[in-house]
Amino acid sequence: MSSSQQPNLRLERFKAVAGNQNSILLSVLIALAIIFTLAEPLFFSVATAGNILTDWGSIVLLAAGQTLVIISGGIDLSVGGTLAISGVTSAWMMSVVLGFDTTTSGSDAHPPLMIGAVTAVITGILVGLVNGFLITKLRIVPFVATLSTMGATLGFAIIISNGMPIGGPNDFSIISPINRDWMPLSWAVIGVIVIVTIVGLFLHKSRFGLHTYAIGSNPFAARAAGINVERHLTKIYALAGGLAGLAGFYVYLRLGAGSPSSGTMRELDAIAAVVIGGAALMGGVGRMLGTVIGALILFTVQSGLIMAGVAPDWKKVVVAVLIAAAVAAQTLKRENRQR
Amino acid sequence: MQMGEVIYEVKGVSKRYGSVVALEGANLKVHAGEVVGLVGDNGAGKSTLVKVLSGAHMPDEGEIFLDGQKVSWANPRQALESGIETLYQDSGLAPHLTVSKNVFLGREITKPGILGKLGFLDSKAMEEKAHADLERVGIAVPASNRPVNQLSGGQKQAVAIGRAVAWARKVIILDEPTNHLGARQAGEVLQVIKEAKRKGLGVIFISHTLPHVLEVTDRIVVLRLGRVVRDAPTSQFTGDTLVGTITGTIQAIPEDEV
Amino acid sequence: MKLNYFKKAVALAGVAALALTVSGCAAAEETTAPNATEPTAVVEELTIAFVMGAESDPFFRAMKLGAEEEAAALGVNLIWQGDPANYSPETQIPIVDAVLAQQPDGLVLIPTDPTALQASVAKAVAAGIPVANVDTRVGDLSDVLIFITGDNEDGGAKAAAAIANAINYTAGESYQVVIGLTSATATTNVARKEGFEKTMAADYPGIEIVDVAYSEANPERAASNVNNWLTKYPDLDGIFAIDGTNASGAAAALEAKGLVGKIALVGYDAYPDNVAKIKSGVFTALIAQDPAAEARLALQTLVAFLRDGTLPTSSEVVIPNVTLDANTSDADLVRYTYVAN
Repeated sequence: MSSSQQPNLRLERFKAVAGNQNSILLSVLIALAIIFTLAEPLFFSVATAGNILTDWGSIVLLAAGQTLVIISGGIDLSVGGTLAISGVTSAWMMSVVLGFDTTTSGSDAHPPLMIGAVTAVITGILVGLVNGFLITKLRIVPFVATLSTMGATLGFAIIISNGMPIGGPNDFSIISPINRDWMPLSWAVIGVIVIVTIVGLFLHKSRFGLHTYAIGSNPFAARAAGINVERHLTKIYALAGGLAGLAGFYVYLRLGAGSPSSGTMRELDAIAAVVIGGAALMGGVGRMLGTVIGALILFTVQSGLIMAGVAPDWKKVVVAVLIAAAVAAQTLKRENRQR
Repeated sequence: MQMGEVIYEVKGVSKRYGSVVALEGANLKVHAGEVVGLVGDNGAGKSTLVKVLSGAHMPDEGEIFLDGQKVSWANPRQALESGIETLYQDSGLAPHLTVSKNVFLGREITKPGILGKLGFLDSKAMEEKAHADLERVGIAVPASNRPVNQLSGGQKQAVAIGRAVAWARKVIILDEPTNHLGARQAGEVLQVIKEAKRKGLGVIFISHTLPHVLEVTDRIVVLRLGRVVRDAPTSQFTGDTLVGTITGTIQAIPEDEV
Repeated sequence: MKLNYFKKAVALAGVAALALTVSGCAAAEETTAPNATEPTAVVEELTIAFVMGAESDPFFRAMKLGAEEEAAALGVNLIWQGDPANYSPETQIPIVDAVLAQQPDGLVLIPTDPTALQASVAKAVAAGIPVANVDTRVGDLSDVLIFITGDNEDGGAKAAAAIANAINYTAGESYQVVIGLTSATATTNVARKEGFEKTMAADYPGIEIVDVAYSEANPERAASNVNNWLTKYPDLDGIFAIDGTNASGAAAALEAKGLVGKIALVGYDAYPDNVAKIKSGVFTALIAQDPAAEARLALQTLVAFLRDGTLPTSSEVVIPNVTLDANTSDADLVRYTYVAN
């Protein structure tokens, strides 16, 4: 039954090009939820919603930063590596430097956790600043620059941690749904929603966001209008890095440890979410809500396939189809306008 | 027509790119309320001079004076803030942004209070003011929330010129503004130039459409191979002599005083 | 203007050098043996190259420690190489090529894929370099001097027994378990899964393996998989986490849901963090390999062959696993924990 529904979805996407991008995404999300519930009734539950949102939390932080980067006409491949190294430095700070270990739990863990969070964000911002420097001062294209920081951050994460997770203090209740019966959000996810909303507001309503769109749309025009393009881009990459650092701390909360392999491939998930959400890789186009829904779609698919008992390899196929459909819809929209 | 004082002047400007001499000892001045045409063949140095005038490039040699005061532009922002607007050849619009966002790019109106300090925009105010400003200089653009790349080429150019005229306080530099425009739209552009002149702005008009230059300018500066070869009132040129000066078949004569 | 270009070039070169150094440090290390224990009748120092799977895996880091100790004891040079993070033949094959170009005397190879690395083994042997396989193997072992591995099938079997024990298996009752894997093709994963399945089918028919899922070496993915399983199978009895990263993620997921002790979790590989969780009851058991011992034996065999032409008594050696659980002595826990320092 699910296989006959999926081609129909694609057709609708192509047809409704003039429709609102976000409502298309929402319909896809709802359609997926319906399909998976039909395949496995337990899918439609607070527990599943909690699982999906918990998975969504780290990637949507990465994707939020990536949205700004892509709108500005760049790309940041280093966010997965930044996630990993931030989790590791955070764990190292809390357990090795400050001396708290895994025996510190519950609310006792809150003070060191706060320090850990700050450490993670600072680590991320530093990586972002390095990206900014490589891109604006040394004029290395973002793809190449962030590819090398990706390697460097993964390498450093392994060096600092000796390849093994560094355990530390934790309060698992922060990352668990607040009430198993009716509240699938955890405090961590609520925090993520607040942060992503703030970043989205800045993107869509502030001068900072407008300049980001302008630079992605026509960097020459932005410069001619008096915008300091280099300074702005550095801020964008630093922001993306900081958000990746926060994501690293979020994953620390999930694992109770900073793990150097926690970043593997995450940048691809983030970019997939942004592309499915409707941003154009060429820059100038993209919306935060689209990214948010795009990321939700990714994890709905991931959880749904497991719940439905489908072989996990199909996840890659479904995601590939979604990305292709999103890019096609973007292209058709662009062509439609130019007629 | 009454002309004011010299409002913008460059003296002895030279610019080299590697071993290529783009400009050598170029002088150019424009009075308030005067339209100066800048013409020359390809490679004559027009766009280099425009970049120096607009603050996009710093000259290797030479001085810049605004209202008689010596100035120097480290970046375009400084020139903009001093009242010099430039319309570049590709119109300098961001295609994905709306008309009002383009008009206010770099000079946005922010909301009052703390939101404003954080940089939050007052889109409604910008929308209203942008359309009012454009209308005032004779440009009617459909009010829309759609991005500028949905406008026709002529409309885009109109927005770009309107933006420049609306913001210009002292000088407006127009680099090939009538390229790719039909006759009627080009005529509208020329009207805008006359309007700017009437407002007392100094206008520098770069074009290779010589009939336009002859129609709307008070004085013409001819560049050839990086040097100013003639600087004379428009009345002293005919179509043929102008072409001849540009191509070099008519010899350079020393700068004529008005 | 020329100065600008020059400054940029210098800065770029500096950054490139830094980047190369960093990635180089993470991937390659060359250790030289001190001459303290000089064995008899050695004309020149032997160089053995060790190309392993993924630097970031603690299993291989523990193996490196054993290799370095043994190289020092035997008085040979050790070249340790491999991809910093990716366990994949695409990145391993060029590394093997580069290593062979350095003309080592012997090669210990941990093939990331049984077919893809076969040609590399043939290349080495054709150049007169004897090859040993450790942990994983190439498909055709006829050119390989010795293949040393942990017994993955046995490890899977031991895991099955540990789970059955923990849930107080009673014949006639039904139980549900799941397996968290890293990849569908890694021979270690496949063998452990088979051992697990066979033992369940033969000795504990009441236990049904209801699902498997992959984590691609990312512990957060492993945690996600467990979350979904716990929702789908509210009566889940046990989880077999096939390797260290999977075990870390699975343990965290159980802790987050407050299900420690309620579900039997058996993991693999003795990461220090996970070993500590045996005491706290998160892990029912950990199946530990002895990567250091595997490395030691590989080096010893190669060196003996190179120095005296001695052939190993057996061309396939299986180093047994150890089950670490609540009954294991503290001394043994320390002994089998993977250490990388």
